[in-house]
Amino acid sequence: MAILNITYNGLSADYPIELDGRVADADLKRIAVEVVRSGDVPGLHLPNLPVAAFDGFVIDRLQGGHRLYLRPKVPFGA
Amino acid sequence: MRIVFLGVGALGSTTAVLCRALDASFALVDFDKVESKNLSSQAFVKQSLGKNKAEALKAQLLNFYGLKVDAFGVRLTAENIVQLLDGAGLVVDCFDNAASRKIVSEHARAKGLPLVHAAISGDGSFGIVRWDAHFVPDAEDHAGQATCEGGEHLPMIGLLAATLARTIQDFVARQEQRDSMVGLKSVTVTS
Repeated sequence: MAILNITYNGLSADYPIELDGRVADADLKRIAVEVVRSGDVPGLHLPNLPVAAFDGFVIDRLQGGHRLYLRPKVPFGA
Repeated sequence: MRIVFLGVGALGSTTAVLCRALDASFALVDFDKVESKNLSSQAFVKQSLGKNKAEALKAQLLNFYGLKVDAFGVRLTAENIVQLLDGAGLVVDCFDNAASRKIVSEHARAKGLPLVHAAISGDGSFGIVRWDAHFVPDAEDHAGQATCEGGEHLPMIGLLAATLARTIQDFVARQEQRDSMVGLKSVTVTS
C-alpha cells in the first residue's frame, strides 16, 4: 500500500493506493484525475477537474516509493 | 554556526529576518538589486531601492535590529562557491533557478554540507522546504515565467518563510532535518 498525496490549487489530500510495482508518472496523474473527480480523495473533490490538470506537475517518490507526492512545480525562491 | 542564505529575494529575505534571533552568524548572497516591484513581496523597505539585495538586507538587519551579517553582492558560480560557502555550517537555498540550485547541491554533497532548499510555485499556491537528500530542482515551465512578485502572494511567502525559519531553528538547536510542504490551508511535515 502506498499513499498518493495530491496537491491542486493549494489544497492537499492523501489517497491510499495499491501499486503493482513502479507505476509511470503519466499513469499516476491519470489515476489522480479520476479519484479527485469521483470524490474518493477526502477534502479534494472536483467533479469537473480537467483531464490535463496535472500536466506539468511533478511526482516525488519518497520513503522507497511508499509516499508519492503529486504537486505543482516549485521553481522559485528569491 | 554560520548560516549562508543563497538568494535573498522573497523567501530568502523574509526567512533571514525571521532567523535574526538565532544563536548563529549569517551571510547573505545575491547579485540582484532591489526594485520597486520587490517591496510588496520581499523584506526590503523603500530606502533600499536601487541597492544590491544582499547589501540592502545587511543594512536593514543592522539598522533595525543591531544584527551584523556578511553580504556578498555577487552571482554564485561554480568558480566562487568555495569562497562564498567557506565556514558554513548550514546552507539555505532560496534561489529562483534550477541551474544555481544544482551548483549548490553538487558542492554541498561533495563537501558534506547541510543544505536545505525552499521553493514556491509560480502561482503562489504551494511551496516546499526540503533537505538536499530529497530535493530535485524544478525548472521553469518557460523562460521568464511569472513569479510571486505581486503582493497577492505575500501571505503565502510569509507562511513558507516561517516554515523554513522554524526548520533552520530546529537544525541549529538539534541538528534535526525536517521536510515540509506548505499549501493554502496547511503546513504538512513530510519527513
